[in-house]
Amino acid sequence: MADTPRRKWVGKSIRRLEDPKLLAGEARYIDDVHESGMLHAAVLRSPYAHARIKRIDTSRAKALPGVVAVVTGKEAAVLAGPVPAFCAEPVVQHAIAIEKVRFAGEAVAAVAAVDRYVAEDAIDLIEVEWEPLAVVSDVESALRPGGPLVHENLGTNLVFGRTLTFGDVKGDFARADRVVRRRLRWPRVAAVPLETAGAVAKYERTSRRMTVWANTNMYHYSAMPFAGTLKVDPNKFSIVPVAVGGSFGSKHLLSKVITIAGILSKASGRPVKFMEDRIDNLAASDSHASDRSYGAELAVTADGRFLSLRIDVVDDYGAYFQFGQTSHGNYLSQVTGPYTIGSVEITLKAVLTNKCQQMVYRGAGSEVNNWVLEALVDTAARQLGMSPVDVRRKNLIRPEQFPYKIPTGNYYDSGNYAGVLDLALRMVDLDRWRQEQARLRAAGRYIGIGLATCQQRSVYSATEFWFWYEKPGFPVTATPEGVTVRIGQSGQFTVSLNSPFWGNSPETVVAQVLAEEFGIDPSTVSVLYEDSLRALPAAGPGGSRLTVMLAGAVTGASRKLKDKIFRIAAHLLEASPQDLVLADGKVSVAGVPQRGLTLADIAANAHFFKMSLPAELETGLDASHTYDHPFTTPPSADRSDLGAFYPIVAHAAHVPVVEIDIDTGLVKFLDYVAVHDCGTMMNPAALDGQIAGGIAQGIGTALYEEFVYDSEGQLRTASLLDYLLPTAAEVPSIRIGHQETPSPYTPYGLKGSGEGGRMVAPAAVANAVQDALAPLGVEVSELPITPDRIVRWVREAQARR
Amino acid sequence: MARRARGTNVREIEMKVNGIAYHETVEPRRLLVDFLRDQLGLTGTHIGCEHGVCGACTVLVDGQSVRACLMLAVQADGAEVTTVEGLARDGKLHPLQEAFWEHHALQCGFCTPGMLLTAYELLQTNRKPEPDAIRDAIAGNLCRCTGYQNIVTAIQAAAQAGGRA
Amino acid sequence: MKPPAFRYVDPRSVADAVGHLQEHGGGAKILAGGQSLLPLMNLRLVRPQVVVDINRISALAYIRETDGVLALGGLSRLHAVVGSDAVTRRAPLLAEAAAHVGHLAIRHRGTIGGNLAHADPASEIPAALLALEGEVVATGPRGARTIAVADLFRGPLSTALDPTELLTEVRVPITPPGCGSVFLEVSRRAGDFALAGIGVLLQRDGEQCARVRIGVCGVGGTPLRMREAERILERSGVTEDTLRAAARAVEHAVAPSDDTQASADYRRHVAGVLTVRALRQAWQRAGREGR
Repeated sequence: MADTPRRKWVGKSIRRLEDPKLLAGEARYIDDVHESGMLHAAVLRSPYAHARIKRIDTSRAKALPGVVAVVTGKEAAVLAGPVPAFCAEPVVQHAIAIEKVRFAGEAVAAVAAVDRYVAEDAIDLIEVEWEPLAVVSDVESALRPGGPLVHENLGTNLVFGRTLTFGDVKGDFARADRVVRRRLRWPRVAAVPLETAGAVAKYERTSRRMTVWANTNMYHYSAMPFAGTLKVDPNKFSIVPVAVGGSFGSKHLLSKVITIAGILSKASGRPVKFMEDRIDNLAASDSHASDRSYGAELAVTADGRFLSLRIDVVDDYGAYFQFGQTSHGNYLSQVTGPYTIGSVEITLKAVLTNKCQQMVYRGAGSEVNNWVLEALVDTAARQLGMSPVDVRRKNLIRPEQFPYKIPTGNYYDSGNYAGVLDLALRMVDLDRWRQEQARLRAAGRYIGIGLATCQQRSVYSATEFWFWYEKPGFPVTATPEGVTVRIGQSGQFTVSLNSPFWGNSPETVVAQVLAEEFGIDPSTVSVLYEDSLRALPAAGPGGSRLTVMLAGAVTGASRKLKDKIFRIAAHLLEASPQDLVLADGKVSVAGVPQRGLTLADIAANAHFFKMSLPAELETGLDASHTYDHPFTTPPSADRSDLGAFYPIVAHAAHVPVVEIDIDTGLVKFLDYVAVHDCGTMMNPAALDGQIAGGIAQGIGTALYEEFVYDSEGQLRTASLLDYLLPTAAEVPSIRIGHQETPSPYTPYGLKGSGEGGRMVAPAAVANAVQDALAPLGVEVSELPITPDRIVRWVREAQARR
Repeated sequence: MARRARGTNVREIEMKVNGIAYHETVEPRRLLVDFLRDQLGLTGTHIGCEHGVCGACTVLVDGQSVRACLMLAVQADGAEVTTVEGLARDGKLHPLQEAFWEHHALQCGFCTPGMLLTAYELLQTNRKPEPDAIRDAIAGNLCRCTGYQNIVTAIQAAAQAGGRA
Repeated sequence: MKPPAFRYVDPRSVADAVGHLQEHGGGAKILAGGQSLLPLMNLRLVRPQVVVDINRISALAYIRETDGVLALGGLSRLHAVVGSDAVTRRAPLLAEAAAHVGHLAIRHRGTIGGNLAHADPASEIPAALLALEGEVVATGPRGARTIAVADLFRGPLSTALDPTELLTEVRVPITPPGCGSVFLEVSRRAGDFALAGIGVLLQRDGEQCARVRIGVCGVGGTPLRMREAERILERSGVTEDTLRAAARAVEHAVAPSDDTQASADYRRHVAGVLTVRALRQAWQRAGREGR
């Protein structure tokens, strides 16, 4: 755009500040934390999905040399209360199960010993007498009247159900020429970061102070509830962040990991480390994600305009409900996608079963809705005899329509969706591929060209946690992010963050913003991570918010610092603050560059020479700023309007090209183009990294990954040999393009982008496979699209013909 | 650290790790990765799965890549081991590390040490690997962040820069 | 995931190893490459009282060619098998199959003897050795005996080896001139075990199929030799019709089961698909060989 401000550092692909320590093996992850006298924990896990604990005998474990503490659920309950939960329903959970277990892998007892080897030896010596109970293995058995209950106190396994209607859905469906219907199945997958979850807890018995190191994300938000669980005064309970080896949403809470370490430290009086091993992590991370069955309907006109959307979704939440129906609040921010759809209705049934519970995974439920919507759109195109491109063009929101309010009440800040689509089609050369597809189809080869045009909402507001409830338990409305910027005695910048490094680039972001604001070299900025007692309010990384929120916090702190800098400089230069300019780390009188002071000069004065300062200024040069959500409004009481809660909305179009070997069902990528509009880019290289990584995960969801439980509630994919993360051989090279439509609501016009790749890739890849197999009469209704399923679908379609 | 469990034997072993000689006592069951991390304090080698799938614990034993979770420390008695801490020299990053930094080939950094050692080994045997050869070589090292392509680019760049050192 | 405690011995000779096995009977486990055993021990699914580490028996690591037979010491690393000039030239099917095992770091440690003794029914090497009509030498307290690979496998993770025996050598007849061999498999990801895999050794005499041997993996409790398919091709040559008939014979002969990666139906179907592809390719390779 012609009027784009010239910026020196925002928008530049500088090398990350985070990297040298990571590359050299110097970064401190949770498993690298060592405290003197530290013990190591292991957990005994339930072999049954649903069973009563009749008796536990830990005497042999306690007698093993090297074992310091062994606790059962009952013993743990003396030291800690239930773990924090964000749901309003009385779904109580303890870090260690007390009377019964509700999923295979639930903790039954925990041991602290001199090392992990001995701790596992002790686990082997614990004897449990079980009374197996009937297993609630799926949604159907969960909802069958008179069946077993996961939580007896609820009286039902339907933990939450509600219909929300926005606009004239009935009228729009009545007016429609056609209703496109799909039944769709989204599999249970999870983030599965390379690093499992862990915590080191150190309880000092006499001072009743507890320090916890953990790779949790929302450590400021969640410290208070954890203190309550562990029965420590909130001002004596501190969570210390460490480098996080990937989270993707899975490490937001880590309630049980932290609580188990805390309980064992209280029981032993020594620091205790508890690291999930990979089996713990796959079976009992408490961070599986959406497991949904859909009935979805799109009302369309004969000429291809979308009128209304109706979604009926049943979600298998597993045994507990720690995060409520957040992942269904999430997509209501963009439920109608980039399209002008006038009304929408969602019916949600949240069901409890004897499986690992849900958390969120990159996309937080919105990636699922994107897939559902894009499947409907492609189906509509096929039924109407239109091309996937034309039917989208007809319905995309136009640039002049922003800010655009969608039926649910959320706003889209800005966008140029047709521009993104055009660029994607140009980059992939759609016409050439369509010709190639026809040519190869004649030779018996199956090429598929997928298209998905999807939203990526960013910068969540906390209202999404509770607006599904008529009477929410704790209707939080703060979604803050604070930073402290200190200019030291020599003029160098140090920033204190209150959110952890979890694979994103917070240090680089704050350095680029400071470089932009002060004209300094970003590589000279030093970044610290504060523990929760020292921290300013911060909600942490999640919902693609951190880059935007940190930019807001740092620019806020910069304003305060600049004000002081200008007042000091004005005083020293005997000029008026309004006549001063700041550039390249120097303050000078406008037009008279030789009449100036470096930041180092000003900092030295601020720190050492009180008498050189204006009388009203204090010694020192630091500023804190807590930035809260730039644009959020409350939901209406009747929830016919949810307010603005996720209004910073990026957009992307993905076009993967695949070839399918219909005899083996193997899918090969021939090309993959992804065009994103994330507003103003902070660091294009880092953004591309997020996009490519998200796409790899989306390919995992679309083609490889699935947690499979059998009818006894046993997890059949409980190792990385069975739960298939894509390798470098499965993930293709991605060609990435950008458009920049700045947000009017954020610093520099940034939009969040952390989830974008995975928001779109499952939909795009599924549509590509669908496109390839459409001539055979196959309809792709289920993920992951495994070789087994492709071969079966092709056979079934052939049998139908 | 090396506790003696009842009825088992302990061993004395000698190992050169990143050029430094160690003489240590270990319980035979101690995995090489735990020995490196807990006994020698070399925590740059990471534990991702402990069943030999993820590649996070990859180290070089006598110049060959191995999963340090699938080898006992006693089995490396007499061996020369290289971990990620052995790549940089005197605070100067290895050309591969530089290339990973330059091409944004890491995000959370957890797979990075194993990935670097796998790449290091590849460049010892193949001076100019094509992208497909690189993908094949690193397919045993899972990365959940990058989508791999920047890793492929970085390894190629390091090869072009003569990054075998 | 840490292994339970065990007594550890690392003998320097086969005789000493056998002595340890004899002393401890079923409580002992042989540690060769450890790429299957150690995961199982880390998971505590296998809890040996004694681990007999044979990695220090350097005399067991060799690949040599004698009297029309390729002899590989049991401790030969798969990496060495893949890279061996002798194997690549004299029994290329074995090298091709070994390259499918895991990843380089796995092949650096994994051994051919350990691979066979572990008897994973999805493993590639046993299928290749069935097609190559190899045999193994088992050395025990009463000396050495030879077992045909066809007689080695009893079921999943179960072999004809006695607990006091060590698999000391693998013997592979040198592939004669005029042969083409191919190993193909379908797996979910690079380096994964085969959902279905096939090794084919085909000797061509002009347009006649003089001799063909087919081994498959991943489609039964053990690797399987596909004798009916072999007979069809040896009787009627390689044509599109006989390839289809051979594929049907393979589909009929295999006995796959379901798991989370693929159904039995799928595995059976793909075994047939791979049969056609592998035979076609082997036929072409043999044709090139013959010229």
